[in-house]
Amino acid sequence: MTQQINWKETLADGGQKAYIAEVKKRDALVGSFLEFDPPRGKMARPQAEVQTTEELAGIPFAIKDNIALRNFKLTCGSKMLAHFVSPYSATAVEKILAAGGIPVGKTNMDEFGMGSSTDTSALGTTSNPWDLTKVAGGSSGGSAAAVAAGLVPFALGTDTGGSVRQPANFCGVYGLKPTYGAVSRYGLVAYASSLETIGVVAREIPYLEKVFNTIRDQDEKDNTTADWRDFSDPKEGEVTKIGVLTGSLGLDPGVAEAYAQVRQELLALGYEIVEMQLPMLDYAVPAYYTIATAEASANLARFNGIRYGHRPVYSENPEELVQKSRDEGFGAEVKLRILLGTYVLRSGFQDQFYLRAQKIRTALVRDFDKVFSQVDGFLLPVFPTQAFSHGDGGLDPFQQKVADKFTTTANLTGLPALAIPTGVSGGLPTGVQFMAPAFCEDRLFGLARRLKSNLTLGEPPEFPALYAGQEGRS
Amino acid sequence: MRYPTKYDSFVGLEIHVQLTTESKIFCGCRNRFGDEPNTNVCPVCMGLPGSLPSLNQEAMSKAYLVAKALHCDLADTCLFERKNYFYPDLPKNYQISQFAKPLGTNGWIDIVVDGVTKRVRIHECHLEEDAGKMIHAGDMSLVDYNRTGTPLLEIVTEPDLNLGEEAEILIHELRRIVRYLGVSDGNMDEGSMRCDANVSVNTKGAGLGRKVEVKNLNSSRFVRLSLNYEIDRQTEILEDGGTVVQETRLWNENRDQTIVMRSKENANDYRYFPEPDLPPFRTTPEFLADLETRIVELPLDRRVRLVSTLGISQTQAEVIGEEKANADYFEKVLEYGADGPTVATWMTGDVQKLLNRTGQSAAESPLTPERFAELLTLMAEGKIHGKIAKTILELVFEKNKNPRVIMAEQGLEQMNDSGELAKLVSQVLVDNPVAVEQIKAGDTKPMGFLMGQVMKASGGRAEPGMVQKMLKEHLG
Ligand SMILES: [Zn+2]
Repeated sequence: MTQQINWKETLADGGQKAYIAEVKKRDALVGSFLEFDPPRGKMARPQAEVQTTEELAGIPFAIKDNIALRNFKLTCGSKMLAHFVSPYSATAVEKILAAGGIPVGKTNMDEFGMGSSTDTSALGTTSNPWDLTKVAGGSSGGSAAAVAAGLVPFALGTDTGGSVRQPANFCGVYGLKPTYGAVSRYGLVAYASSLETIGVVAREIPYLEKVFNTIRDQDEKDNTTADWRDFSDPKEGEVTKIGVLTGSLGLDPGVAEAYAQVRQELLALGYEIVEMQLPMLDYAVPAYYTIATAEASANLARFNGIRYGHRPVYSENPEELVQKSRDEGFGAEVKLRILLGTYVLRSGFQDQFYLRAQKIRTALVRDFDKVFSQVDGFLLPVFPTQAFSHGDGGLDPFQQKVADKFTTTANLTGLPALAIPTGVSGGLPTGVQFMAPAFCEDRLFGLARRLKSNLTLGEPPEFPALYAGQEGRS
Repeated sequence: MRYPTKYDSFVGLEIHVQLTTESKIFCGCRNRFGDEPNTNVCPVCMGLPGSLPSLNQEAMSKAYLVAKALHCDLADTCLFERKNYFYPDLPKNYQISQFAKPLGTNGWIDIVVDGVTKRVRIHECHLEEDAGKMIHAGDMSLVDYNRTGTPLLEIVTEPDLNLGEEAEILIHELRRIVRYLGVSDGNMDEGSMRCDANVSVNTKGAGLGRKVEVKNLNSSRFVRLSLNYEIDRQTEILEDGGTVVQETRLWNENRDQTIVMRSKENANDYRYFPEPDLPPFRTTPEFLADLETRIVELPLDRRVRLVSTLGISQTQAEVIGEEKANADYFEKVLEYGADGPTVATWMTGDVQKLLNRTGQSAAESPLTPERFAELLTLMAEGKIHGKIAKTILELVFEKNKNPRVIMAEQGLEQMNDSGELAKLVSQVLVDNPVAVEQIKAGDTKPMGFLMGQVMKASGGRAEPGMVQKMLKEHLG
């Protein structure tokens, strides 16, 4: 592209053709979209009624394929829903449409959100725009890759145990996991209902903030939402003290280096660093997988091939129909987690597993209550490694789960967390995350802004910025 | 066959009551019986991916109201849980129900068995969503999801009942209660009230025996028949020295017996866990105050009061007290000064006949309580007598006018002017010389005939007492 145009003009009549061609060219390499159809996306809200003054007027965006957009598929990266077209839109999507945003397509993901690489998708492979031999992370890998490759300025993802922050971190973009209850989950295909939220991936902080402010709201269709106006931040977004973990964190060199650098920058910027302990942190992953799989075993029970979804060619009776649908429709990781969840909920075993996990969760919440009585924000790594390779070269499924230690805490506690890109090491992005008290997302945006001025972020060499407003990140 | 002296039998009931709310329990779909299949559905009650339940406060309120009427301890916090099992009529393959913290516990209901009041303890009341309906057509199975998400209140009694007859009475009493409260129509034939039971028999004094569940009891008659069948069956097993197998049985209405459905080993593990999509429900002072305004005098209390304070018969109280609207109507008539037993007699007699004929309820009929009372006042004032009153009653229904107006318009007021009556009597005596002769000869039989002739000549309006007196004067 010789001439930079504005994001707002990508889908205007003059620019649309060039935009579509460029996205198709780039995405042939990255594989972020499962469905890409801007003209159909424009029909989601009649463009004639969109006022140019609206917050996101004419801005293209992508949606993870476990969030409903009317007349688009809702596959969840699964063979089970490969042909399912949603008859309705998620509340968060409706809100962006109302603000003038244009959905251009649905992005790839680990099947039903179960994975950290997007490799468990049954419907396509997504690669990291920084290095196509590496994964984009997961489960919102498609959304993070689409943003990193410059295809859209922002995308919606979902974060159950780190599924927005970890891929954002792997792809060198911002990934926000809002406070549980701040954003409606209506229209998000449930994996682990008590842990997950819709989140935002963006290359620039203003988009992140604008989109979050657009989608957060109490929703009568989701009884677990709360009105953010009822929770004012006593510090009004101001942060002076930041907590960090004491001791060794077991990070890869590139990640450790970035983490240390951020600590230095924070000091340089005048923040006070307070070393703290989180006694329950080591129990977070087992507690997380116990609760997540328990909820998943119930949430995924609705996929039985009767009303919708994959259906066997032939079945003798309703029972066989259900068995065959599920056997053929679900991938290995999904089956594993359903089995685990069924196991931990058996009567007589709940004390040992599910209830114990809930106790750990309560203790972790108390840990963080204590943390935020002393500091204003908390710095953590996102993932112990940078983006790993596709296939055998990567982490095995067990290692991937253990590595969720730093991200799952925000889900177990319901607290907001923001993954921030910090630079590039060995050709791959690095990053950290900050956590804040409930409904204090503004503190996270403020920290990201302050840090950005002192960091060199760069952009994927093969996928330079296309549009103005996607300014170079020198 | 019964062995009343050697064995005790214990029956507990689980009664499901569909609550009549505008919309379903977790979505905005209409909650209505009898529509075209799969027309009252949406992403939520169809269990589409991404949909979430949103609690209908009205369902909660009606559920608490029943629990209150059943004298339960009302939970200040109650919790929904997921009950996991696969069945094609259950869209999510889990049912949102209550388990560890139901909304009501520890209550009771009084029933009257052979004139004696018996108190049956209520173990708990909990709210859940109904499933859809499977329809088997030839080699196909079809599902109608209109019913999914209908608010369903489950009422579980302790095993305090001993016979099928008592269970039947309890179901009837509960039906009256939910209708009085206006929370359900309680119709078992439409499935808006359904019942499962558990039965055990044991040697007298030895406590509960091995429990057998009986399902598929879709009328109160089947409840009675199946429970008595089951009590006899278990008694015979014990009598023969055997042991009862703990299992679930189905009532087979064609064979009038229970048959095995599944053994205990095949029982489901429902893997209950708290519903993460719904926060715990907490009662507020406003919520509880609202319940106070909606609670009503219970049907049994009302029947007792009607008999004891208004002097009407037990049978009349049962008829009048069956429906709250009828009992309200009855007491409304009394407010206009009418006398209880008289109103009751008319209400259960001629008025009921007319209502049956016109297919109306008393409250919606042209016979307003005020008109009813007016009719009785006309009688009490001696302006009309019973037969004319019946005529006027029919005319009230026909013309929708006040009895007094009808009486005047139709000239139905009783004739008690002695001069006019005397003329009629004289004429009848002149016209019937044979009868007069007979009476004078000492045979009083034709007296009634002459009386009838005078009444006829007056168009039924003559005051019978005066006519009788005059005839006697002439012939005596
Ligand atoms: Zn519905």
